[in-house]
Amino acid sequence: MEIRFHKRITTAYIFVSPLLLIIFLFILVPILGTCINSFFQDIPYLPKKFVGMRNYLILIKNPDFWDALKFTIFFTLASVSLETILGISFALLLKERFPGRGILRTMLLIPWAIPTVISARIWQLIYNYNYGLLNYLLQGLGFSDKINWLGTPQSAFWALVLADVWKTTPFMAIIILTGLQAIPEDIYKQAKVDGARFIKRFFFITLPLLRPALIVALIFRTADSLRIFDLVYVLTGGGPAGATRTISVLGFQYYTSADFGLGAAVSSLTFLIVFGFSLLYIRLWGIKKL
Amino acid sequence: MSERRIKSIFIVTGSIFLFLFIITPIFWMMLISFSKNISFLTGGTYQFSFSNYITILTSKSLHMMDYLKNSLIVASITSPIVLIISSFSAYAITRINFAGRRIIPLLVLSISIFPQISIVGYLYRWMGNFGWINSYVALVLPYLAWTSPLALWILLSYFSQIPKELDSAALIDGAKRPKILFRIILPLATPGVLSGLLLVFIACFNEFLFALMLTSDYRAQTISVGISLFQGLHGEIPWGELMAASFFVTFPLILLTLVFQRFIIEGLTTGAIKE
Repeated sequence: MEIRFHKRITTAYIFVSPLLLIIFLFILVPILGTCINSFFQDIPYLPKKFVGMRNYLILIKNPDFWDALKFTIFFTLASVSLETILGISFALLLKERFPGRGILRTMLLIPWAIPTVISARIWQLIYNYNYGLLNYLLQGLGFSDKINWLGTPQSAFWALVLADVWKTTPFMAIIILTGLQAIPEDIYKQAKVDGARFIKRFFFITLPLLRPALIVALIFRTADSLRIFDLVYVLTGGGPAGATRTISVLGFQYYTSADFGLGAAVSSLTFLIVFGFSLLYIRLWGIKKL
Repeated sequence: MSERRIKSIFIVTGSIFLFLFIITPIFWMMLISFSKNISFLTGGTYQFSFSNYITILTSKSLHMMDYLKNSLIVASITSPIVLIISSFSAYAITRINFAGRRIIPLLVLSISIFPQISIVGYLYRWMGNFGWINSYVALVLPYLAWTSPLALWILLSYFSQIPKELDSAALIDGAKRPKILFRIILPLATPGVLSGLLLVFIACFNEFLFALMLTSDYRAQTISVGISLFQGLHGEIPWGELMAASFFVTFPLILLTLVFQRFIIEGLTTGAIKE
């Protein structure tokens, strides 16, 4: 029996080892390495040299870093809250029975299936000054002036939020819809008998019962949004004049301008921010109650 | 107003809004991709034509077919390997009682929120030392790790629904565990395997930052990188060709998603809802 037991445990470790090994090599080692590199000066043609906290001090004094951090946080707040509101609305809609529901449900998967870079390009064209749908519609409505949607920090911010909302609301709606379908219909029937109106039913039944699904969706969406790179890099390139740079884009720019130490410092901070936010969510709403 | 009335107004306006919300960008992409000349927007008339598609399919210097081929190869290598690696882990976690069976799924899950930027800089140096930059290896290896949480969590949810008595019976008959996994468990979890394959495949097509940094030309760059760098042959962005390339890539992905809808939705929602 003793031998059987040990053999079973050994099998278990052999079975999980390939997965743990690739994760260790290609995720954990690079993250640790990045963190270590952030304490070094690492510029081409110069010997690598330990500089302690200097990269972090440079960042703290650099307004670019604070602008990128501010932008990332505001972008996350705006897009995640819009996605949540729209996601809940779409899910409530698609829970009802009506002709065409099946088609709409299927369509919901389309933005999700399109690679982010491609959706960034589509939206880039929609916002285009000369050939964009938005300016085309504006002129159709009789406005004589075209708007340079990606030309001012304000409009570029909302342009990015809209493009992100389009691409990721479907994910939110699908998760919430599955959560809604898990709520027993009887609860609603009883509440209706008791005379609870829609708003009341929504806030006192639907929302609390939806909480587990909602928290998971929020954690993933918030993390995705705080680390966002692809959409911003392709749609605005961080412009105009750096106004829409996210922390990931800033890190990438340091890397490609060959300042690996600074790149590593921004990247380590990005990691801490994303990780910290996720822990905060879990603390606030309690993963134990999931 | 009665509640029923409000409800029907909500359904009608909501479904029109949802329909337009999703379809408008797709419609614009298609309209521009099939236009002979984009100048119809500044005063000309719209002319339908396949010329943009012909350009992207035939022009060697645009390398669109190379990018697509690279994406297909990387995604097709990555997805089955991830599924096999993850199924061994999922088997051990759901069926063998060992220290770590609780913590491993959480550890793997937490990886899916890590920012790619905090991984890619180091990988770039690391792979550079091996001379792997601009090769399929440089993408497949990190993609294996990057997509494993997706595969593992889907498989865990399917494996845990398969009765353990099946294993005990087979073990008593003298079957080895790998054989049980491949002959009994995986066939029973086919829908899960299919969801996993699809989600990983699509994730590989979607990934951008690793591909952007770890590849440098058309011999390894994926379609996401290709589309992001698309400049056309004459400088200014040729929107017609860009949208044709976008639609050409998007169409099969959308088709795949719609055909396997059920598996994709199941894959997306497992882990997020139950357990």
